Amino acid sequence: MVDVRLLDKGETGAQALHPLEALDLARRLPGLIVSAKEVAATVMHGVHGRRRAGAGETFWQFRPFVYGESTSRIDWRRSARDDRIYVREREWEAAHTVWIWCDRSASMGYVSNLALQPKIDRGLVLGLALADLLVRGGERVGVPGLTRPFAARDIVERLSERMIEEASRHGYVVAELPPADALAPRTQAVVIGDFLSDPDDISRMVLGMASRGARGHLVMVADPVEETFPFTGHTEFRDVDSSARLRVGEAQSFREDYMMRLALHRDRIRAIAASRGWSFTVHRTDRPASEALLALRMQLEAGLGG
Amino acid sequence: MFGLPLAFTAPLILSALVVLPALYYLLRLTPPRPREVSFPPLRLILDLQAREETPARTPWWLMLLRLTLAALIIFAMAGPIWNPLPTSEGGRGPLLVLLDDGWPSAPTWTQRVAAASERMAAANRDGRPAALVPMSDGAREIAALDTTRANERLRTLKPAPFSPDRMQVLPAVQVFLAKNPQSEIVWIADGLARGQADAFAQGLAKAAGDARVQIVKEDRLPLAVTATENAAGGLEASIVRADTRSASGGLVRAYDKKGLAMGEARFDFGAALETKAQFDLPIELRNEIARVEISGEHSAGAVSLLDERWKRRRVGLAAGSTSDVAQPLLSPLFYLRRALQPFAEVREAPAGRGDPILSLLEDRVSVMVLADIGVVSGKAHDELLRFVNDGGVLLRFAGTRLAGSTDDLVPVRLRRGGRVLGGALSWDQPKQLASFPPESPFAGLVPPEEVTITRQVLAEPDANLPNRTWAQLADGTPLVTAERRGKGLLILVHVTADTTWSNLPLSGLFVDILRRVVALSGQTQQADGDTGAVVRNETLAPSRTLNGFGVLGAPPLTAKPIPANFNGPPSAEFSPGFYGPAEAQVAINTLSPGERLEPAVYDAKFVMENLMRAEPVDLRAALVACAFFALLVDALASLWLAGGFDRMRTRKLRGRAASLLFAAVLGGSLFAGDRAYAQAPSQNPALTTRLAYVVTGDAPADEASRLGLASLSRALANRTALSPGDPAPVDPARDELAFYPLIYWPIVATRPQPAPEAVTRIAAFMKQGGTIIFDTRDALTARPGGPPSPEAQWLRVLLAGVDVPELEPVPRNHVVTKTFYLLDNFVGRTTVGQTWIEALPPDSADQANRPARAGDSVSPIIITSNDLAGAWAADSNGAALYPLTPGGARQRELALRGGVNLVMYTLTGNYKADQVHVRDLLERLGH
Repeated sequence: MVDVRLLDKGETGAQALHPLEALDLARRLPGLIVSAKEVAATVMHGVHGRRRAGAGETFWQFRPFVYGESTSRIDWRRSARDDRIYVREREWEAAHTVWIWCDRSASMGYVSNLALQPKIDRGLVLGLALADLLVRGGERVGVPGLTRPFAARDIVERLSERMIEEASRHGYVVAELPPADALAPRTQAVVIGDFLSDPDDISRMVLGMASRGARGHLVMVADPVEETFPFTGHTEFRDVDSSARLRVGEAQSFREDYMMRLALHRDRIRAIAASRGWSFTVHRTDRPASEALLALRMQLEAGLGG
Repeated sequence: MFGLPLAFTAPLILSALVVLPALYYLLRLTPPRPREVSFPPLRLILDLQAREETPARTPWWLMLLRLTLAALIIFAMAGPIWNPLPTSEGGRGPLLVLLDDGWPSAPTWTQRVAAASERMAAANRDGRPAALVPMSDGAREIAALDTTRANERLRTLKPAPFSPDRMQVLPAVQVFLAKNPQSEIVWIADGLARGQADAFAQGLAKAAGDARVQIVKEDRLPLAVTATENAAGGLEASIVRADTRSASGGLVRAYDKKGLAMGEARFDFGAALETKAQFDLPIELRNEIARVEISGEHSAGAVSLLDERWKRRRVGLAAGSTSDVAQPLLSPLFYLRRALQPFAEVREAPAGRGDPILSLLEDRVSVMVLADIGVVSGKAHDELLRFVNDGGVLLRFAGTRLAGSTDDLVPVRLRRGGRVLGGALSWDQPKQLASFPPESPFAGLVPPEEVTITRQVLAEPDANLPNRTWAQLADGTPLVTAERRGKGLLILVHVTADTTWSNLPLSGLFVDILRRVVALSGQTQQADGDTGAVVRNETLAPSRTLNGFGVLGAPPLTAKPIPANFNGPPSAEFSPGFYGPAEAQVAINTLSPGERLEPAVYDAKFVMENLMRAEPVDLRAALVACAFFALLVDALASLWLAGGFDRMRTRKLRGRAASLLFAAVLGGSLFAGDRAYAQAPSQNPALTTRLAYVVTGDAPADEASRLGLASLSRALANRTALSPGDPAPVDPARDELAFYPLIYWPIVATRPQPAPEAVTRIAAFMKQGGTIIFDTRDALTARPGGPPSPEAQWLRVLLAGVDVPELEPVPRNHVVTKTFYLLDNFVGRTTVGQTWIEALPPDSADQANRPARAGDSVSPIIITSNDLAGAWAADSNGAALYPLTPGGARQRELALRGGVNLVMYTLTGNYKADQVHVRDLLERLGH
């Protein structure tokens, strides 16, 4: 029989936390950080296997000097070899900005015995690992509504600290979706969550964020139970965010309907994303986190490259 | 019910079982609580509400469980009883319980009382009175009582040690039944015919008419001991059983007067109804046996009591004539031997062992039989007189020698010559025996017609003669006379022990007379010596009697003295048991020899029931427990169906459960720890060598002893190979002293002297090789040659009860001054006191200039006055505790050295003295 449970408040670290509960999250985060770094390392290693030009200070090309340019840009060593004067061009060095947002609402704190991890843990691991990966790749990472974009070697720890701090702030209300503020053009947004909100809210958020041309990726984290609906018999379903309840005599008779509704919901989100050129992926918590991270990374690279 | 031994006290409640189908319907309709599931994507399907709301049915197994639960409760309410009590089925009148309470019912008495009680309780439920009639009640009128009083009566009943005559009860029963024709009759019978059971059964069947008569009896009828016989081979007990369904074998145990087990013997009936068990014991032990009983058969019938009559006496035979082996029938000893052998140990003096009488007396015979010995003189006479005075029985037979001349060991003066009857020179016919006078020990024996006396010795007429006559001829001539002499008896039979003077030795009477005479040897202490005749008490008071269970105890208030020649079966007045004074008790047994046990025959219309029945079990409690268990299972199942276990898995609950578990484990371990602590092993004083001091009761002195010996023990551990344990305080009156080689005893004159037992133990300790140092601690107060100090006096009083060897001041060359250190004297807190030790044997010439001398053993006593312990005493840092006189570290060191030497002396003895010979020995070996 499938077995589900809701994480305690202290376990999610996404509620209005008391300092004590914030500490609980802090206690919990190092494990997440470690796993995030591990996940990031495996992904980095896997992609670096294909030779590619690195970002940063590396040489790009020599090109003939054009009059009007600053002479200080001439590469004299190269120019001394023949009669022409060359300018050393380096790779474009301006870092990209990636906004990463993890849903930490109550519905994320959900785990069934089919899953490897609660949804929130998986979401945080994904987000932090991605941040680590990106910062090591030279990008800047920010959390909308929480930090401005920055790059630091200890990006994972710092983001975690900020999350803990935010959670322990008085009057903190956990949000299901990131603020719909417009992001700067040529930035990318990664929104990780279960996207069980109203599609209109999601649409508003995506439109708002992409209003200045930012690109984005929606990662829907789903528990296997939410995908397969393995319930049978007389069951009373309770909502997590609200007090809604649904008592059904034969739960198995709802499966078809539920699957249909779920597919519909996803289709709508996918359509919203596609309308702004955003990507939408579904990640199940019974799959390894590195799989989702790899996929995310490929998509981000495509975005960064463009 | 349904062929099962099952009954219900409230069977109407069972009709509630018809509700079960309704319950089934109701349960089907009421579903269990739904399973609660949190489901985040719920809002996707919230609007699907109205689709299918038919609840799931209750699972069949849960329904079965609940129906069972309901059925269990209904059954429990109906009061089920397994093996129910017999319901009263006979009549509406009172219940008449006839209870056999003779000894055969004793082994199963508890069950009998329980059976009677059950029957009466059943009657009580129907509101009927009950009448309880024990068979020993006699012809008392029977009244129906209410059950409470009948029960009280029942509880006071005990089995009687005899078989009551049931016919005496029958008239009362007939009267009762005539008055209450509707009675129900239950006879709790012992199954034996003893006590006219058959006749009573017929009478009862007649009296009961068509009333229902139920007989409750036990299949296994009891066993009984009918007789015991101290035969030549051993003590034989005859055991009987009523029929072959009784136990087929078992164990008989013999006990002496004090109840100590003397031996046991097996018996096996095989297919017979009678068997014998034999105790193979030496005659001395056999004579001690006072009681024989069948093991495990707790009834008076299974006990046989033995008195003096059962003792086998040792009888010495001596004859005046030389025994002619070729013609044994001419020898009087032949007849005596043959008559005595069945019940006595016959001894004859072996030829060529000096005086036969003396050698027989050395064999410690109880009865001495002298056949035709006229005069016993010299040492044999003195010894014989002493033997009689000490309680022996001297039985003499007349003969030609005796007729010629007699000594003083005869009860009456004899006329010379005797008389001859029926001879050629006589007018008289051979005489027959007259019946025995009632005060004679032979009273009760019947003289046979054919016994005739042809010749006898005659007694001189005398005032005392009638008193001394035990048997006489038809014309009144004494045939057997007896006189009490000292504690013993002199008996003279006026005829020979062979057939020359009479044919008495050929008759059975001869054996009986001898048997009684031999039995008399056990009772010779009683009766006064003057009259000569043994005084036979008219009656014998009960001393200890058997109760129905076969236990000897104080006689009941109703017990009456028995006449001296009581011979009948025991009854309500005459319980079996021991009667008479302690030194000559007469045993009355429940069964007489040769008796048999017959099973009773009951009327065919009686309803038989077995006494041994399974106990009724009230199933209510078990059913309620089952129902409760089912309820628990149901609750768990409901919880499981509703998904309640999942909620229990949350961390907090788990944490709480874990903490509870932890607390329980912690608590358990705490308790376990307590137990472990309580079992700390006690120290065994024998495992380590320890010095000991006597606790005087004076706290400062005891403290000084303790500290001093502790300090000395440390010094010993530091300096020598001996590592003594902590010094032990001992109290010579209580503690075992054998563990300690050396005991230090400071004398405190103000304390009371130890108890005499303590003094004996001190003496024993010193005898067994222990050494005691008495420290009077009075060197400063006592003046040499002056009056003894209080301490010295105290010590003198103490040692008055002890075997103290000769003492001397420790000589310079005594080995105690050489055992470890070389010392001149033993100093303590003072130096002037003298130390005394067991005096050594005087020097032999070659020992005179030996550096060390020693006795053969360690001196058991050393007396000093220098307060040694005070000088030794130091605290744990080694700092001295008591000032010394004159003082100085050297004195303290010398005191310790003295202590070390004393301990070494007690442990090694004269070893050091032997060491001084080493040089001589080596020299000798070298040459």
